[in-house]
Amino acid sequence: MGEKVHYTTVAIIAGHDPAKLPDQAVEHGAENVIMIRGRNLASYSTDLYTRAISDQIGSRKPDIMLVGATYQGRELAARIAARLRTGLTANAVSLDIDTQGSLVSGVPGYGSKVVAQVACIKNKPQMSTVRPGVFSKQEFPGTNGKIEIVDSDIPDSLDRVRTVSRDVRKTSDIGKAGTVVIGGIGVENSFPMVKEFARKAGAEVGVSRPIADKGLAPRDSQIGSTGYSLKAKVAVVIGVSGAEHFVTGIAGCKTVISVNTDKNAKIFDYSDYCVVADASKILQLLNQGGSK
Amino acid sequence: MRGIIVCTKVVPKSEDLTFDQETMTLKREGAENQLNEADKNAIEFAVKVRERYGGKVTLLSMGPMLFEPLLKLGIAMGADDAVLLSAREFAGGDSFATSMVLAAGIRKIGDYDLVVLGEESSDGGTGQVPSQVAELLDLPQILYVSKADLGEGKITATRSVRGGHEVAEGSLPALVSVELGVNQPRFPDFRRKRWAETEFKLTVWNASDLGLNPEEIGLKGSYTSVLRLTEFPTPERKREFVEGTDEEKAARIAEILKAQQ
Ligand SMILES: Cc1cc2nc3c(=O)[nH]c(=O)nc-3n(C[C@H](O)[C@H](O)[C@H](O)COP(=O)(O)OP(=O)(O)OC[C@H]3O[C@@H](n4cnc5c(N)ncnc54)[C@H](O)[C@@H]3O)c2cc1C
Ligand SMILES: Nc1ncnc2c1ncn2[C@@H]1O[C@H](COP(=O)(O)O)[C@@H](O)[C@H]1O
Repeated sequence: MGEKVHYTTVAIIAGHDPAKLPDQAVEHGAENVIMIRGRNLASYSTDLYTRAISDQIGSRKPDIMLVGATYQGRELAARIAARLRTGLTANAVSLDIDTQGSLVSGVPGYGSKVVAQVACIKNKPQMSTVRPGVFSKQEFPGTNGKIEIVDSDIPDSLDRVRTVSRDVRKTSDIGKAGTVVIGGIGVENSFPMVKEFARKAGAEVGVSRPIADKGLAPRDSQIGSTGYSLKAKVAVVIGVSGAEHFVTGIAGCKTVISVNTDKNAKIFDYSDYCVVADASKILQLLNQGGSK
Repeated sequence: MRGIIVCTKVVPKSEDLTFDQETMTLKREGAENQLNEADKNAIEFAVKVRERYGGKVTLLSMGPMLFEPLLKLGIAMGADDAVLLSAREFAGGDSFATSMVLAAGIRKIGDYDLVVLGEESSDGGTGQVPSQVAELLDLPQILYVSKADLGEGKITATRSVRGGHEVAEGSLPALVSVELGVNQPRFPDFRRKRWAETEFKLTVWNASDLGLNPEEIGLKGSYTSVLRLTEFPTPERKREFVEGTDEEKAARIAEILKAQQ
């Protein structure tokens, strides 16, 4: 997008030990990097990160600011936009610049029934959070960028929320998986069979939201409007009804195979191959059938 | 424990909405209204906090008068009181303009320890309102919360982060958003429902009750503008039904999978 309007692309990073982060930003296309460094910025804090980044944005006045629509990205962006009194659009699935130079974001609404084209009409920066998985990373190995380090002096006392413990697994990037087997409420009681099938098929396991809500699978395997958008070559969707909030997550898959007991299930409208059957029987056959 | 204010939104059932290709608008005719799904989790969360620590649970909503019956449903689900912020000038606002109005309502209710919101609304669905209300009220925030304990002037809450959970401790008063689906909202109590429908009186405030500048709210106070609606691009699918015995169906799945991988 920057090329279209001849803007400079700048990555802004807050943290303590920058390690390879600034270089990685450059390798992915940043022309400049601003690294805000502070001991108390070592891990995410809404209060401190909002302050650190708002101060830089407020004084440098960029035209556009984009933030990943992750848990932390969404809260950080919303707080910065409110502080700077500027427009923020949510979870963009497309980004463009119109003839007047305004940022126009495609914002899914009503569980992705529609996409609203939304512009930031007042003030700068024009802000948007961007849904993970919709843009592919590009690599520019060996390029050089200017890395500027800014030492932060924000006092600890501004931080009103402290993380006391953490239970975090390394996340697999399901958005990039080639094959995904997705289980829904229809296979709630035979979920181990879904996992076994995925393992045999060399696939990642994805789930519908209620399966994650019940704690049967981690949140980062959730597919849909509040989860991941897939780009898989093939997805096998088992025991999922096909609610709007779900099907937006499989729109980017090349081939979709679905299994459901209900021949009128909505999921079949979003599938290439529709299998009306009891999933536990089918999974049993697939798992013993030595399908590798 | 001082008050607990729960921001609840009334939304149309998204299954009831259809996109009209000709006018490029969303048809809402006959769409049933309901309490936003995540806000039911927020109400349940607040009622559970009150059961352990006391305090009064007040629902706060911005929208037209037709929200009234659903706020009464919230009362039947255990809330003590409800306030509706309703005025023509509030309409058409983006997440920031909405947050301005909600923040003013929260200030006017006053005397609170906790402000509770849902993680996101199923219609607008920006998930931005919780952070923007927190910023306007200068409150600490803990988002995507599933459970919480309160102590002297502090809240200890479990929140979702990428890859898992964290326990975070914040000072009170604080704002939390409750993650969709983390609890089982209780069924509206029949006797409370009767009471809410016959005797309970909803408080309604307009722009001047809140002392808001009309330039800062609704369509005028918005920093973003919807240019047009488009249908979500859904790819064409073959929709081919696989026939045969279960064995044949399983074999076909394995075959397609192998061919496509
Ligand atoms: C704001 C908001 C955001 C949301 N975000 C998401 C999201 O990101 N992702 C998401 O998935 N959902 C999301 N949802 C929830 C979504 O609306 C649906 O409730 C959910 O997708 C339904 O999950 P499901 O299909 O697994 O369960 P159900 O709707 O209960 O469907 C189960 C299906 O299994 C079939 N079945 C039953 N038994 C069998 C069997 N033995 N074999 C085969 N099939 C069987 C049934 O016929 C049925 O079709 C969101 C909702 C809201 C309000
Ligand atoms: N008009 C409103 N009235 C009351 N609460 C609201 C309103 N809009 C948003 N909220 C609250 O903000 C949360 C997030 O909404 P949103 O940012 O629109 O996705 C909802 O779950 C509600 O708790």
